Amino acid sequence: MSMNDNKGGGKRLLDLARNNSVPLMFILICAVCIPVSGFSPAYLLNEILTRMGRNTFLILSLLIPIMAGMGLNFGMTLGAMAGEIGLILVADWQIWGIPGIILAMIISIPFSILLGLMCGNLMNKAKGREMVTGYIISFFVNGLYQLVVLYMMGSIIPIIHSSIKLPRGYGIRNTVSLLHMRQYLDNLLAIHIGGVKIPVLTFLITGLLCLFIIWFRKTKLGQDMRAVGQDMEVARDAGIKVERTRIIAIVMSTVFAGLGMVIYLQNMGNLSTYSSHTQIGMFCIAALLVGGASVDKASIGNVFLGVILFHLMFIVAPSTGAKITGDSMIGEYFRVFISYGVITLALIMYETKKRKAKGKAGQMLQLAQSEEDGQ
Amino acid sequence: MKSKRIILFRLGAILFLLIIAGIMMVIGRGHTVYVDNKSLEYNGQTYETPYKVVVFVDGEQVAKLYDKERGMTTCIGQKVAMSLEITQKKGGEEEVKNITISLPYNMDGIAINLPAYLAGLPEEAYLSEFQPAPDQPEEDESDEAVTDEFGLGDI
Amino acid sequence: MSKTENAALALGNKSKFHEFVDSFGLPRLIIAGFLLVLFIMAPIVGADLPTQITNTINRFSWNAVLVLAMVPMVHSGCGLNFGLPLGIISGLLGATMSIQFGFTGPMSFVMAIVIATPFALIFGGGYGWLLNKIKGGEMMIATYVGFSSVSFMCMMWLLLPYSSPTMVWGLSGKGLRTTISLEGFYDKVLANFLQINIGNLSIPVGSLAFFALLAFLMWAFLHTKTGTAMTAVGSNPAFARASGINIDKMRLLSVVMSTWLAAVGILVYEQGFGFIQLYMAPFYMALPAVSAILIGGASVNKASITNVIIGTFLFQGIVTMTPTVMNSMIHMDMSEVIRIVVSNGMILYALTRKTEGAK
Repeated sequence: MSMNDNKGGGKRLLDLARNNSVPLMFILICAVCIPVSGFSPAYLLNEILTRMGRNTFLILSLLIPIMAGMGLNFGMTLGAMAGEIGLILVADWQIWGIPGIILAMIISIPFSILLGLMCGNLMNKAKGREMVTGYIISFFVNGLYQLVVLYMMGSIIPIIHSSIKLPRGYGIRNTVSLLHMRQYLDNLLAIHIGGVKIPVLTFLITGLLCLFIIWFRKTKLGQDMRAVGQDMEVARDAGIKVERTRIIAIVMSTVFAGLGMVIYLQNMGNLSTYSSHTQIGMFCIAALLVGGASVDKASIGNVFLGVILFHLMFIVAPSTGAKITGDSMIGEYFRVFISYGVITLALIMYETKKRKAKGKAGQMLQLAQSEEDGQ
Repeated sequence: MKSKRIILFRLGAILFLLIIAGIMMVIGRGHTVYVDNKSLEYNGQTYETPYKVVVFVDGEQVAKLYDKERGMTTCIGQKVAMSLEITQKKGGEEEVKNITISLPYNMDGIAINLPAYLAGLPEEAYLSEFQPAPDQPEEDESDEAVTDEFGLGDI
Repeated sequence: MSKTENAALALGNKSKFHEFVDSFGLPRLIIAGFLLVLFIMAPIVGADLPTQITNTINRFSWNAVLVLAMVPMVHSGCGLNFGLPLGIISGLLGATMSIQFGFTGPMSFVMAIVIATPFALIFGGGYGWLLNKIKGGEMMIATYVGFSSVSFMCMMWLLLPYSSPTMVWGLSGKGLRTTISLEGFYDKVLANFLQINIGNLSIPVGSLAFFALLAFLMWAFLHTKTGTAMTAVGSNPAFARASGINIDKMRLLSVVMSTWLAAVGILVYEQGFGFIQLYMAPFYMALPAVSAILIGGASVNKASITNVIIGTFLFQGIVTMTPTVMNSMIHMDMSEVIRIVVSNGMILYALTRKTEGAK
């Protein structure tokens, strides 16, 4: 009896380890890297808290499309661009401090909604390959963003201050200083404990979004989204407007990403006009996956675990790499490799699982279907 | 009925956001205020400077101005509140004055002439727009050194 | 001719036109028209047309093989090869090792291909095996396999024991440089072979002939028994399975071919460009190749050699012509933005076309 129990327990443990292999791997990496890197715990804690405040909101924006079965929203970059447009305008109008941050958020919303609608519609046309479509959309919209920011701002859209304009008279400079908004959100209500700063307000806002997501899951719309995520055809038969629900999921994600980008950039204190958004989607997705999420399942817990583990790795990797190999670039490349590697691994695991789950019966059905298609 | 309510709700939400945006634009306008302690001639009369003025904003000392000196502070909103510690003559009594100056919305940099203000002159006399000198020739933006190949900076 | 006849003729023409548009694809037509306008505008705004055509042909010869690498995987139903960087890395390994082992001149080019081949076979084999495990999600995973391999190789370029003084950093004596000049090695080795010069117009016959050879081989292969079997796997897997074709084997073969062609493609690109670019350079190299073949008329599961030629010409034509023409017209260099919008818009168009259905 007890033997059996042990065996069952062992198996369960193995299953648990297998299902959480990515977080476990990261815990291992961190456990090795932290002592080598030689950072003090206070420094690490401070960095982690800063980065949590900065990134969590952005990563939370990924949850809703996953719920709707649309996979990892590589199109969140669109929201990031909307947020940046808001910040550029606010920086030009010289609205400072918390009001500036709020205004930038409000300005970003219409842009996010428009871009989200476009993204959602395109993804509806490419069902089954939402991720690669979203990924290409982010490149495409990056082109449009450059068109607006590099050519139209200053020539068509009035930009007053020469400090953010290129010397040629139109277009925005490579970096826009957000000095007068820098960490205003983080510093308001911030608590300092032994050299560790806790940005309470930022955490509160992030917490509000968490609560919203928890509440949203229980609403009619949230339930519809989950149904669509489970099986589109069944949902359609049940009278759910599948296309509309999917578009709403993407629009919500884009809007939250826009707000998140403003939070992220107010912490950074300056905006790299043409590169801040390019990698943000990738890093948010990597962080979420590190937290143990998969393409079709992600929880708020995954987000927080992911932020902590991923950024811990991000902080310690360069100096660890430098200490081991004597070359600082190795660590830089290593953390980038890990980020991409994690996404690759998660995608592969998701696809193989999906194929296994389909099983033989599913394959037979598919065969029959494709035969029909062939004729 | 229901659709009407939804439309109304949406319009309300948009209006709400617009109102907030409007309020933010008013209360969030940032200004750089330059405080000058400099004698001024106005309508043929010369207003002399006090020996020393110490300027406090929010209880923090931002400038200690002797004759012909300029101090700088930033403020958010259309009003700046300062408290001035004025010493008229060297070794003389300190006199504390709390002043609130309203600032025009569409000026980024505002210079305030203290002697004129303290003498109670009209706004046009003590307040003028200050244009900071254009930045020193910037580095060529086109071939900025790429130090970060991934464009990720410090995420 | 009576009026009704005229009307009927016009109607016929119209439907013919529609048919033409449908078969050619509207975006393709717009892009071709845009390029035509650029060619017409070039002399008007004062750009030297022969130079422009030379540039276009040159760039065509650099890139055509990379675009050709798309063909096998599209044929076998693996979708667009966003994992092109993997093949490019094999090519880079071949290039750097060929120089490291002391080959110079045209020989270094041959040896680069020879050395790159086993790497391409091994990487392509592994990559193909992986893609067989995840049928249906190829494109996204291919993208990230490419990214991971590029970032992994970034570490390797620093760590591998290269020592040739032309390639490593002068100061530390180890770690490869970001760009390596090919002067004295295989710089323009194909382009200068049999080059024709007429005034300002010069045609790199050698490069074009090399591409023609590979394209012909590809065409011939697709008409062999294995080739048709591969096409069958892509276009009608059920039929292929029924006729006893080993689907996984065909897909694996196509991926290996694609990877090897990418390896050769990057070497051809380098000989034209004159430099080896390492580290992050291969990162986004898949996107131009993908959009080029799509502009040429290919779709996610159909591609021919003609698509490759037309697509590469149109894409490279736009890339080379827009900067000069735009600059002299409106003194605003918007070519980069146009390139981004056109190339990615094209990929989006292909991904979202209803007729192709979800895979």
